[in-house]
Amino acid sequence: MNRKLAVTIYAGTAIFFALFFVYPIWHTVKEAFVTTDGKLTFAYIGEIFQNPVYVEGLVNSFYMGLFTTILSLLIALPLALLANTWNFKGKEILNSLILVPLILPPFVGALGIKQLLGQAGVLNAFLIDLGLMNAAAPFDWLGEGRLFGVVLMNALHLYPIAYLNVSAALANVDPAMEEAAENLGCHGLRRLWRITLPMIMPGMFAGATIIFIWSFTELGVPLIFDFTRVTSVQIFDGIKDLSGNPFPYALVVVLLILTVAFYLIGKWLFGKEIAVSSGRAATGRSLRNASPLMNAICIGVFVLVTGLAVLPHLGVILLSVSNQWYGTIFPSDFTGQHYFDALGHPLTLNSIGNSLKYASLATVTNVILGIAIAYVVVRTKLPGRQFLDAMAMLPLAVPGLVLAFGYLAMTRQGQLFDFLILGENPILILVIAYAVRRLPYVVRSAAAGFQQTSVTLEEAAQNLGCPPLKSLTKVTLPLIAANLIAGGLLAFSFAMLEVSDSLILAEQQQHFPITKAIYALVSSLGTGPHIASALGVWAMAFLAITITGAGLILGKKMGALFRV
Amino acid sequence: MVSIQIRGLVKRFDDVVALNQLDLDIQSGELFFLLGPSGCGKTTLLRSIAGFHLPDEGSIQFDNDDVTNVPPHKRETAMMFQSYALWPHLNVFRNVAFGLEERKVNKAEIKERVDEALVMVKMEGLGTRKINQLSGGQQQRVALARALVVRPRCLMLDEPLSNLDAKLRIEMRGEIRRICKEFGLTAIYVTHDQKEALSIADRLAILDGGNIAQVGTPEEVYRRPRTALVAGFIGETNLLKGEVAFISGENVYVKTSVGDLAGRPSDPQQVPEPGTAVTLSIRPECLSIETTPPARNEIAGHLTESIYLGEVAQYSLQSPGREEPFHISELNPRRVIRDTEQKLYATAKPEDVVILPDS
Repeated sequence: MNRKLAVTIYAGTAIFFALFFVYPIWHTVKEAFVTTDGKLTFAYIGEIFQNPVYVEGLVNSFYMGLFTTILSLLIALPLALLANTWNFKGKEILNSLILVPLILPPFVGALGIKQLLGQAGVLNAFLIDLGLMNAAAPFDWLGEGRLFGVVLMNALHLYPIAYLNVSAALANVDPAMEEAAENLGCHGLRRLWRITLPMIMPGMFAGATIIFIWSFTELGVPLIFDFTRVTSVQIFDGIKDLSGNPFPYALVVVLLILTVAFYLIGKWLFGKEIAVSSGRAATGRSLRNASPLMNAICIGVFVLVTGLAVLPHLGVILLSVSNQWYGTIFPSDFTGQHYFDALGHPLTLNSIGNSLKYASLATVTNVILGIAIAYVVVRTKLPGRQFLDAMAMLPLAVPGLVLAFGYLAMTRQGQLFDFLILGENPILILVIAYAVRRLPYVVRSAAAGFQQTSVTLEEAAQNLGCPPLKSLTKVTLPLIAANLIAGGLLAFSFAMLEVSDSLILAEQQQHFPITKAIYALVSSLGTGPHIASALGVWAMAFLAITITGAGLILGKKMGALFRV
Repeated sequence: MVSIQIRGLVKRFDDVVALNQLDLDIQSGELFFLLGPSGCGKTTLLRSIAGFHLPDEGSIQFDNDDVTNVPPHKRETAMMFQSYALWPHLNVFRNVAFGLEERKVNKAEIKERVDEALVMVKMEGLGTRKINQLSGGQQQRVALARALVVRPRCLMLDEPLSNLDAKLRIEMRGEIRRICKEFGLTAIYVTHDQKEALSIADRLAILDGGNIAQVGTPEEVYRRPRTALVAGFIGETNLLKGEVAFISGENVYVKTSVGDLAGRPSDPQQVPEPGTAVTLSIRPECLSIETTPPARNEIAGHLTESIYLGEVAQYSLQSPGREEPFHISELNPRRVIRDTEQKLYATAKPEDVVILPDS
């Protein structure tokens, strides 16, 4: 690679990050600390902590993040332990099914949960039918404030991240570490507690971090649950009057600061890097063949968890084909009409087109940036390339809501990036927002491809007279096409169902992406929720196809994208 | 300290038979080595004794007590792992104390015994160190202390020195023997390094294809190997096929492609009949090189290679009757023969020519 080209790519990507990652955050921070006449102030931040509504929102957000993380770990840990100890029947397929919930949009699933656990929902109807509940005073499972429902939905969506991280950490533990404990008399749960858990703690922490950041600032699920007393929703509501109002900015900054603070505290408490001793593992981890009983337990637990996790989405499917579903176990009247409505409705058809447009452009941007960054990081010796790598991974650590808000703030009228809004069309900023958020996945998969492809192949091409850039496109890129396609598909499917950027940045109905259309439909009366469900099912069908494609191309490496 | 009795042990992994009807007795207080080429089953055998593998057939007894189905954490053995398996989240002291904590020993005694164990492995004062702050040799000592401190019924060492450099290996193997003998430990030591085994073992077993090829003291196994595999695995040797011609006194005369050679059967109890096909094993250092025909056991040929190494000279002698040259080592060589034209003779004393059953 010629150095000039590398430096150009480096500079280009660095500028992109400065403009669309650092600047929006900086812009928000500035608004939160500077008064209209340009003086530094801490009054706005201080005000947040004075206002009981905001404090309650922060506390609820913290609970939402904390309980989601704990519940996700509680679901994932037994699964990972079982899968890393036993060989059981159907393990291959169960092991991939267990990851499915990650790609089901929780925003859509929340509709289903409401239907299942609401006061007039399926569970209550079932209990009333059995005579276990008084029909006149049904129990409200989602509880006052609906924190329970939000946490449940979030955890059922995010536990695969914990599962992947814990599994990877377990696979890296030298089995001799556990055998040594066994050999000295430490067995079973005690061994798990004294040896295994401490050793996988860094891996668990990595997974927990992603889950916490994700759920601490989750917007879509609490919105659907009408759970308004969380900071994310308060920020979303605050967007309606941004001019001259510093509090949404201050809230975003507080959220960002707290995210970083919780991350650091967590890192200090749990994430201490454990340097592995120098000796090499004598044996690979050998899995035991499960006895019939153990087989049944393993299969049962996997099926149960997967089933629970897809239940909300099954509810959505039922909701989408039902005419009447109130206070009964199954819908009392079925119809296919909503699917046609969902495709015929001007709002929905438009939104599908918009989402396809936004997501494809974002994916193209992602792949180009991903190749460029991965190339510089893996194939050059430029000083500071690790910095670029770290930068490309940072969007994983910054809440999507914070970035989305930053984009909104910096493209408002009269601001520096106002020109990115074409008339009223947010397409450019939405594409950039989608691209930045999902860049880590694409960089990760492209970098893996470059690492697996020997540089000598390119050198051979250059040696035969092919110029550097051409040898990259003619030799290496075709070889790593599978990685790029997989990373791209993943970015695409996440972009199709992205929530915070979509809800915040798309303001005009004709520019709504799918998620915003669903949100608008849910809050409308009549058949709105049913049409929203039908639209959600269309979206999930789209996703299923893309993800299956990615899975076929990438095979087992799929999981590697979600590890940190 | 226990004695160990193993009877008819079979362990299969899917279709691969790792241990095949294996019998073995290990005496109390003995430093016993398991040796063999990779894949011979030595590690499987060690792990079965520790309880990490459940055998498919057969039994394992400690002091004639059946422990075949006792889980590893109740066997009271202590293993030193090849990778050391020191827990990185615990410091040196906590690593060593672990087994005592599991045995519910009181705090004061734990402190005392751990300190004592650290002194024994020359790691005193390093208890608060983290594992990743230790050198390979120090880690090895901590792993040894962790195994010793629980006063195991049997100490197991799985290639404990394979991660160390050559100098440290020699130092540590002496150390291990000293400690084992000081406490009268029954110890089972797996290695593929024959020098390690010959230098410190009380007895050793050579494994081949999941079975014991030979058990004996280092001298027995080296001087009187029972099979061609054992002869070739322990030390270097020249193997030569032949047929027993006649027997005269202690000597058995064997007709070979390079002439008649007199030797002694590996097992004095089993003298082969004339006409039996046999294999001869002659160690390079048992052969000496002469310029004039010797009185007996002469192998005539020409040199194809001579290497001078200071304390030893190595020759390759090509004899017309054999495809491969004979390897000859001459200790303390006063002069080195380099002439490849000259006709030379190799010879060995009959007691150094070992007659093995044909394999």
